[in-house]
This record gives sequence, structure tokens and C-alpha cells, in this order.
Amino acid sequence: MRALILVLIYVLAGNIVVAQEEPFKRRYVNHTELGGLFGRVKYNLGGTTNVVESKNSLTAQMFNGMQLNNRLSVGGTVGVDWYKTVLINPIAAGARFDLVGRKNARLYATGDVGYGFGWFQQDSDGFNTKGGWMINPGIGMRYGKPEGNAFTIGISYKRQEVHVDKPLQWEQTIRYEDRVYNRLVIRLGMSF
Amino acid sequence: MRTRLLSLMAVILSMGLWSCNDQCKETRVTRRQIPFTRTLADIRASVKIESPHEMKRPGKLYTKGKYLFINEIKQGIHVIDNSNPSSPAFVSFIAIPGNGDLAVKGNTLYADSYTDLVAIDISDPTKAKEVGRVQNVFQNGQFDGAWWNINAVNGSVWDSEDATIQDFTVDYVEETITTNCEDTTPYPYYFNSVNSFWDMASFGTSASAASSSPNSAPGTSGKAGSMARFALNNDFLYTVSLTSLHLFDISKPTAPTTSGEINVGRNIETIFPYENKLFIGSANGMFIYDNADPKNPKQLSVFQHGTACDPVVVANDIAYVTLRTGTACWGTQNQMDLVDVSDASSPKLIKTYQMQNPHGLSVDFPTLYLCEGDFGLRIFDVTDKMGIDKNMLSTFSNIHAYDVITMGKNLLVIGKDGFYQYDASDVKDVKLLSRILVKK
Repeated sequence: MRALILVLIYVLAGNIVVAQEEPFKRRYVNHTELGGLFGRVKYNLGGTTNVVESKNSLTAQMFNGMQLNNRLSVGGTVGVDWYKTVLINPIAAGARFDLVGRKNARLYATGDVGYGFGWFQQDSDGFNTKGGWMINPGIGMRYGKPEGNAFTIGISYKRQEVHVDKPLQWEQTIRYEDRVYNRLVIRLGMSF
Repeated sequence: MRTRLLSLMAVILSMGLWSCNDQCKETRVTRRQIPFTRTLADIRASVKIESPHEMKRPGKLYTKGKYLFINEIKQGIHVIDNSNPSSPAFVSFIAIPGNGDLAVKGNTLYADSYTDLVAIDISDPTKAKEVGRVQNVFQNGQFDGAWWNINAVNGSVWDSEDATIQDFTVDYVEETITTNCEDTTPYPYYFNSVNSFWDMASFGTSASAASSSPNSAPGTSGKAGSMARFALNNDFLYTVSLTSLHLFDISKPTAPTTSGEINVGRNIETIFPYENKLFIGSANGMFIYDNADPKNPKQLSVFQHGTACDPVVVANDIAYVTLRTGTACWGTQNQMDLVDVSDASSPKLIKTYQMQNPHGLSVDFPTLYLCEGDFGLRIFDVTDKMGIDKNMLSTFSNIHAYDVITMGKNLLVIGKDGFYQYDASDVKDVKLLSRILVKK
């Protein structure tokens, strides 16, 4: 994770200087995406055999921000992630940065860091779900004119923490679960 | 530039490929019972005086004169010199296997020890010694929800010295397991379902409370909690077991004798003497017995309530009954009932107050001290019995309070974290005098 952040900073810093070459007018940008969260889980029933299952969930998010130069936009991201038993609403600070490419097809980097809330989660009796920290770095391709509408496809990694207090079972005095959803995220979107 | 991009992509893709496994861990603390047996001969030979111990798992609280007696669950009794409430000092520890309750009359301490009632001379608490014993009066019991019972030897040799007590050590085990990140994770494989989870006689998840004083001859007996299962009345000691009221004649204090047993009902929890009556709390209701003839208590009435733990105290012909939720009690209500018992053959509900998690209580009219478990201690003025909730005088939310005894000026509070003593001469400005914390 640290290596990823360092690389992102390095890449962003290096290109901000390059971006000064062209005159630019700041403008509002929106990037709305819909996609899937894909992952697996390995758990143990208490014996010697592990069980591995595949997981996939729906995700949607909207980035609203300011285009600071030809390549970099920063802003806030709100979203909804439907994990199988938890509905999380991430609120994050985000950035989008065009890395390389022709004018109408560019590779971009994306990063969101924030907190996923369980505001709309409906718990079963005895359960109490609380959200947690979220980080979502990734890359994608943007097809469209630089200052016009564009179609995007992105792939990223998402880490979402969740805490669940659970009802006590027989002879228990404490029972809770700490979840870390580690998912590969593939999203299709539009930006303007 | 191209190199930087490649390294960025490599990092992101590798994380995506290698880390996309949900990692969910469920943490559970489970109460576990480990069986053990002990012979009656060994138990009976183990009552002895020891040097002071640190408190680990305090149980019932009792006070007599300048001494405090705090039960260490199933281990014995701490004797504490409280002549200076600002600095109570441990005096000795009386080791009594299987002890959960006690009462003191004069210089004699009565305590249960599994099947037996033991009389101990405490005229010098540093040299306390057993002076009398009634054997085989209690057939079973429980601590922390774990039941003990006697294993007969060779058929039904119930009173043989070779007989053994089957008991359980209760401990709490923390485990962490991986789950499938959903709510349907199966139950742990070492699932323990040996016993039910009643826990009426001790801390942990138990019912525990405190009371006004027993109504025996003034100056001769001490003051117990409302969760007490022992009560003194003149020459009689009353004890309650799960279903019965046991009578002991203690006219010769050092030689108690059994004087009968009355079947009361089921799930009996507490006994509280008031005037010439006995108020017996059970999980389903409050039984009132006429005790005008101490040898022969007679049932007058039953005040039924929902299933719950229900310590009860009585003052000025009003019974204060607390009902609370919790695994141990199966209850669904957290409330305090005020019951008019001026006509003991026909108790009438005055009013129900919603509480948070009421445990022990003690009344020094017009002041009511109420333990609220994790929510601390609350003090009410109960002069207006229809508006108690509007007359809260003060609250202490920073302690865990199970049990309280008012001594007028002083207030004794016990909880799972330790023992606290307050100066309550001004009930609106109660001051902490001292505390003895439990050794973790």
C-alpha cells in the first residue's frame, strides 16, 4: 500500500509540472460510475477444511470536483456499495489524473480515500453494523474529448472496513465481527 | 515516464490479484464450564483461616459492626475492618469451599459450604474457627450459572464422606475465527450446552442486590444485601434454595440445628425479612410469608410478575421490586415495581417505573439507592411514590454497581470492578470515601 501511494505521488508530482505548459481554465467535473466488486473469501468452519467462496456485489459512485489543469481533477466521491449483508455509503476525497494517451483515449489514475457509513443498512434483530475506513486506488481508460463528455472503464482495488456487533449465542458474553472487504472493482462510467 | 506508468500499473494490478480476499474475523468470548469433583471429606476439612487475600470475584456483601464481609465466590469470605471507612483494611480470609452466602449473629458467622451450613466463631476474626456444622442440608446449588450436585457413592450413600461434589469451574474463553463475511457463520465446534444459564447467586451475569437490614433483634445481627439467600430472625436462620425455604434453629449460636423445610415454588432467588414477614423473591413473583411464628412460616400471598430476576426490599409497607433483562434471568423488562404490602395477604401494584438495568437496591426512607449495573448507581427521593422518576437526587455513572447497602451516613456499593464506600450524609452531594478494586 505504501509503495502504491509513493508511486501515485511521484507520478502526480512529475506531471503537474508538465501540465503547466498549456493555458487552462478551471471547470466543474463529474464522473459517474457503475460496476461490480469482485473478490473471494476463505474461512474455516472450525475443522481442518477451509471453504473458499467467490463474492461479487454491485457498486455505484459519483465523483464531483474541479478540473485543476488539463490532467488533474480533485473533489469528493459519494457512493453506494451493496455487499451481500451490508449496505455501505462511502464518502471520500478523490482525485482523477490523466496519465498518458492520445487526446481522445487516455489512461487515467483514480484514487478515493474516505469513510464508508452504514446509514441505510437495515440490520437483523440483534445486529448492529457500523462502517469503517475505505481506500480505492485504480486506473482506467477514458474515451472522449478532453473538455467534453467521455466514456470510462476503470479497474481498481477497494478496501472497506466494517464492524458488526452480533447477538450473543449460547454462553457468550461478547460477540462481534471485524470485516475487511478487499475487492477488485471494475466500473463503467461517464464523465463531463 | 513510461517506466513510472508501468510500475504504477504493476502495483495496482498485483494488489488486485493478490489481495482481493475478504478478511473477516469474529471475536467471541464464551463462558466455559470445566467439570471437577471433590470429596465431601476434603471439603469439610478445608474450612480454615488464612491471611488476607486480594479480591478477585466478589459476591455477597454483609456488614456487622465495624466489619465488612465480602464473599469471594465459591472460595470463602474476606473479613475487612471498616472502623475507618476512608481506609478499610483486610483482616483475614476465611476459606470456605462452595461458599456463596453468609449471615452474622453475635460472634457467629453462618455460611454455606456446598451441602453444609457452617457456623464459625469470629469473636477474633484473625483466629476464626469452625464451631458447628449442619451436614447435608443443601442438595444442589449454582455459582455463575454452573450447577453443582452431589454424586452418591454405592447407590444412594448421600451422606457418606466418600461422596463427591460434582462442580464446574467457570472461565471465559476468547476466540477469533474466520467467517464468510456474512451473518450465517456456523456455530463454533466446541459448542457447550451442559447447563442452563441461570445465574442468581453470584456476579457475572447474575442477579445481585442489596437490602435494608434483616429485622432480627437489634444489635445482634448484621446487614445483608437484598440478593441474600440467608436471613436472620431472632433465634432462626432462614435460607432459600432453588425451591425451598430451610429453617435453622440457632438459639445455641454455635450449634445450629435444622428445623424444617418448606417447599415454596421454583427459581427462588432472595429472602428479605420485614417486620414479622418474609418476602421471598422468585423468578416469577414475590411470595409473602407470615413469620409471626418463626418456627412455622405460612404463605400469605404471591405477587406475580413476568419472568425476571427480582431483588426485593421493603420499607414503610411498600415493596420495591426490580425486574431486569439479561441472559441469566430471561427477562424482557427493565423496571421497578412499587407494591403496596400494607395488607400482606393482598399486595397491590402502585406503579411501575421504567429503568435501564436495575439490580440491587436499598432504602433508607425517603432515599432509595438503586444499582443499575453498567449504568451505575442512582439515588431517588421516594416520598412521592407516584413520581419517583421525577425525583432523582444524583447519579454515578462511572462505576459498575450490582449491590448497595445503606448504613445511614455511609453507603456500601459493590460491583464487578470492586467495592466502593461513600459518605451519603448529604444525598445530593455523595462523596467517595474509599474503594477496593478487584485484582484483574
